[in-house]
Amino acid sequence: MPEPALFQLQGAGVRFGSIRALTELDLDVGWGERVAVIGPSGAGKSSLIALLNGTLAPTDGQVRVLGRDIAAASGRERRGVQRRLGTIHQQFHLVEQLRAVHNVNAGHLGSWSTARAVLSLLAPRDVGRARQALERVGIGDKLYEHTGNLSGGEQQRVAIARVLVQRPAAVLADEPIASLDPARGREIMDLLHEISRETGTTLLASLHDVDIALERFERVVGLREGRIAFDAAPAALDPAEIEALYALERGAP
Amino acid sequence: MIALRTSELNPEKPMCEQRSVARCVVVVGVVAALSVVLAGCGADAPGGSGAAAPDGGDDVLTVGAIPDQDPQELQRRYGTVADYLADEVGVEVRFEPVTDYTASVTAFRRGDLDLVFYGGLTGVQAREQVPDARAIAQRDIDAEFRSVFITNTGAGVDPIADVSELDALAGKTFTFGSDVSTSGRLMPQFYLSEAGVDPADFDGQVGFSGSHDTTAKVVEAGSYQAGALSASVWDERVEAGEVDTTKVREVFRTPTYYDYHWVIRPDVDERLGDGTAAKVEDALLGLDRSDPRQRQVLELFQAEEFIPTKPENYRLIEQVAREAGLVE
Amino acid sequence: MTPPAQTETGQRVPEPDRRLPDLSLREAAGTGARHGRSLIRRSWVVLAVVGTLASLIAAGVGQDRTVNAGGLPLVGDFFAAALRPRLDADFLALTANATLTTLGYAVLGTALSLVLGLVGGVLASQTWWRSATRRRRGIRMAGWGMTRTALVVPRGIHEVVWGLFFLSVIGIEPIVAVLAIGIPFGAVTAKVFSEILDETPQRPYTALLAAGSGRGAAMLYGLLPPALPDMLSYSFYRFECAIRSAAILGLLGVGGLGYELSLSFQALLYQEIWTLLYALILLCGAADLWSSAVRARRMAPRRPGSRTSRVVIGSLLAAIALLPISAWIVQLDLSVLGEAGTRELTVQMLGDSWPPDLPSGGWTELLQLAAGTLAMSVLAIALAFLGAVVLAFPAARMSRAGGSPAGRAARLLMIAATRGLLLVLRAIPPPVWALLFLFVLFPGILPGALALGVYTLGVLGRLMAESAENLDDRPLQALRAQGAAALQVFCYGVVPAATPRFVAYGLYRWEVTIRETVVVGVVGAGGLGLLLDQQLATFDYGGAVATLLVFLGLTLLVDLTSAAVRRSLHT
Repeated sequence: MPEPALFQLQGAGVRFGSIRALTELDLDVGWGERVAVIGPSGAGKSSLIALLNGTLAPTDGQVRVLGRDIAAASGRERRGVQRRLGTIHQQFHLVEQLRAVHNVNAGHLGSWSTARAVLSLLAPRDVGRARQALERVGIGDKLYEHTGNLSGGEQQRVAIARVLVQRPAAVLADEPIASLDPARGREIMDLLHEISRETGTTLLASLHDVDIALERFERVVGLREGRIAFDAAPAALDPAEIEALYALERGAP
Repeated sequence: MIALRTSELNPEKPMCEQRSVARCVVVVGVVAALSVVLAGCGADAPGGSGAAAPDGGDDVLTVGAIPDQDPQELQRRYGTVADYLADEVGVEVRFEPVTDYTASVTAFRRGDLDLVFYGGLTGVQAREQVPDARAIAQRDIDAEFRSVFITNTGAGVDPIADVSELDALAGKTFTFGSDVSTSGRLMPQFYLSEAGVDPADFDGQVGFSGSHDTTAKVVEAGSYQAGALSASVWDERVEAGEVDTTKVREVFRTPTYYDYHWVIRPDVDERLGDGTAAKVEDALLGLDRSDPRQRQVLELFQAEEFIPTKPENYRLIEQVAREAGLVE
Repeated sequence: MTPPAQTETGQRVPEPDRRLPDLSLREAAGTGARHGRSLIRRSWVVLAVVGTLASLIAAGVGQDRTVNAGGLPLVGDFFAAALRPRLDADFLALTANATLTTLGYAVLGTALSLVLGLVGGVLASQTWWRSATRRRRGIRMAGWGMTRTALVVPRGIHEVVWGLFFLSVIGIEPIVAVLAIGIPFGAVTAKVFSEILDETPQRPYTALLAAGSGRGAAMLYGLLPPALPDMLSYSFYRFECAIRSAAILGLLGVGGLGYELSLSFQALLYQEIWTLLYALILLCGAADLWSSAVRARRMAPRRPGSRTSRVVIGSLLAAIALLPISAWIVQLDLSVLGEAGTRELTVQMLGDSWPPDLPSGGWTELLQLAAGTLAMSVLAIALAFLGAVVLAFPAARMSRAGGSPAGRAARLLMIAATRGLLLVLRAIPPPVWALLFLFVLFPGILPGALALGVYTLGVLGRLMAESAENLDDRPLQALRAQGAAALQVFCYGVVPAATPRFVAYGLYRWEVTIRETVVVGVVGAGGLGLLLDQQLATFDYGGAVATLLVFLGLTLLVDLTSAAVRRSLHT
């Protein structure tokens, strides 16, 4: 593909006051790639996702998404980029008071006019596509259910369905299975994979579970203390490297 | 309570961490203990505010008035008369303003007020509540008090020559002043009934605007088509140009009746020494315009002099009040 | 799904509708119960609309005589005086004194209500009764039920009515205002505290009981500490309400801003009225800020290891210090309670009030007035709710990503302006509003309804703005991260999340508003309040009791309706 990489980080860093969350990241993610980001708690995984989807602006370096410098973009340009990125969160971040169909339709918000969005709250638009998306994630019968009444696994499926109708260039998943039991987690992971394969969508997921990362992803990025510790294919990774990633700080009192 | 319910939905950690919870408990305990202590010693608190009414004390003659005037005016009027009485009677005298007609009657009943310049109706009520209380004096003008009926010019009511023609007001919207005012409610209602007009004959519910000034204003505004108030207040406002006479006008002035009078509690002699009540009565009746200081008191009361009065003067008021259900 | 390269241009690729008949059936079967619930909710909405329309008709809206344009100049006069309040030294001193008195009453009234609330709260909690009589379920339920019922009467009677009662037996004494605030507020506080106790996790408490500790000690160690933050937060909210209440109670003659206000009001001295209103606005504003600051600590996420906020500790100490100061300011004298005169009058008054006595119009009159009162409360809350929904969002400090400095400044300005407006609306007592509306409307329940409506709008708007500020921000962030515009985030994220709370607030304020109709009745706005005022003015206690009983019935009806609607909100 002649296009530049989907995500390009050059020396990107994020500081909150004096605390450095991310430091000098250089990372390219191409179209259709499936990348896992692993690392201990506090390594900066969530900050990285937020940086990639434009929620967080870099305090150092540059972040280019779809070829655009997202920090320098105007609000309209930024939203234009953001509508092509779907994000899935550990805590789902759905509006629990809305019916599932509206949460799924929220995936259209980047492209719908405001008038259309408001009307849809009164009489749902594009029900066909929402239903199809929910069927794809296996809960087609929950279309008119209040989202707050759904189980955790079902809510995560609604969140995925929202990304499906958005038809993004990339799906960013921030600990998508950390709130679910192992069986449910695997199902969700399988689902994200299938979708990525079927549609050629880029998938970048931060994960707690190293085994799933090594098993399912072609590329694994290790983060530690806000820096990239390694960036390689699973086969090329040394188990010692992974162990070092999670090791407690040595030499500390 | 919902404020709280909603805050509980928030899963964030509570304000008191476990370690400092104990401290919170202690603090609240101290608050509770302090309030108990306070409850015990509150009585000893020193004086501070002039607005609150402290206990009369046994050696003070407390003078009250019903709230029929601007507060500054009330304070000046009664402050002056209190000073005068203190000198003449030889006891400590204090003025306690009261905002509510009913409250003044209650305070009189309880003995918080000893001497009150009551309106006709409130005086009757007060003497009903304190059977041996006496009406001791009235102003010269109180013997010939009047009310006026006013209408909005848009209501199309012509000036009325005789009481019997007050029925021209039936079918209009109508407001009295305060519900226990003699000149703002009771006597107007009496003269209306003389003309065969019952409050139910007005359009909609009869209003109680709360004061003479408010009655004038809501009729001027046209919210009510007609109303009744004290003639002296009306004359003052017209003279001062404070009402717009192109919008509101007087249509009828009632015959005279007795209104304001001084009422004194029966236990004053017992508390402040024999003959105190008589001295108060003499001091009021003896006010003389030729003395500069006494002249000031009379001027503040808008009176030439204070004259004796007797219970019979208020028979009509009492009878009307009974018929209207304002006195048991 | 379509490949990303195509979505850039082809947002609207038609998708075949793959609805399957069996799926629809499954969906219908699975959602039967839910449809039942949402049907109930929909019925409430219909009922609310019908009720509001009926109240509008009862208030005579739409008839030829509603608005009286002739009164506009008078309202103009009133507001023109806002620019030139009376500011001479004498009057300012009087205003300062009155402000302190009002503050004093609020502090003492709140303190009393907290003491009553704590005792009553424990006694009205299921937790207490459950552990008191472990074996006898019947006694347990009866004890709990009786305490709860006993709280209904003091709660259902407005502070002003309590004030009038105590005024009749105690006279014009500062303690009247303290009792008038403390008793009804104490009953409300007891109800809320009991709910907090019952909702607090019970395990530490039962563990202590199982270890043989006494009930009181177990509660002190196991139940109160975790419940305390919520109770504190609520206490400060009560204080804020007590300030407004103390101002209205001043009307009875016990001093303070309301007292001065009513004096200036009777002679319609607008410039004086405005000086006093400014003082009241400042006092209310300060109390609201204080209460918000304390309660914000309750909501704010805390860093591990940090201690109880200084604001909270400082506020508690300040509150304690204020108690003796307040007692001194208002010259609190408790000895009158024990006086023989007070006892005599109480006995006499209670004797006079039984049996209840119907007014001259009998049941017809009472029920007509009750209907008018109900209509007034419905209109007031409808106005307040709609207005508050509109104003809550501009008044809320909600996090916004980015924005130019000019845009941020404009937003801050809008927040300040809306909050200021809400403050003015709630700081001006309803009787003052009622008179203003009486200038421009024809008499009836409408002026009273609008007066209560704008006042309640001030209270409700602030509660709603606070609630909007405390919404979970993460779903909104998620919507923003996928490129939704501000208005879309608002419609899809803020509105649905805020609606249940807003409705709950509205219902709660409706319960308060029906009680407050008493206050505007005094200004001649009609309803049961006017009748009650006249009965009390003529010492017709038997009649007053009959009116109060009807009023309590009405209050209970509103409370039950409100509770039923709130239950249907929980999905």
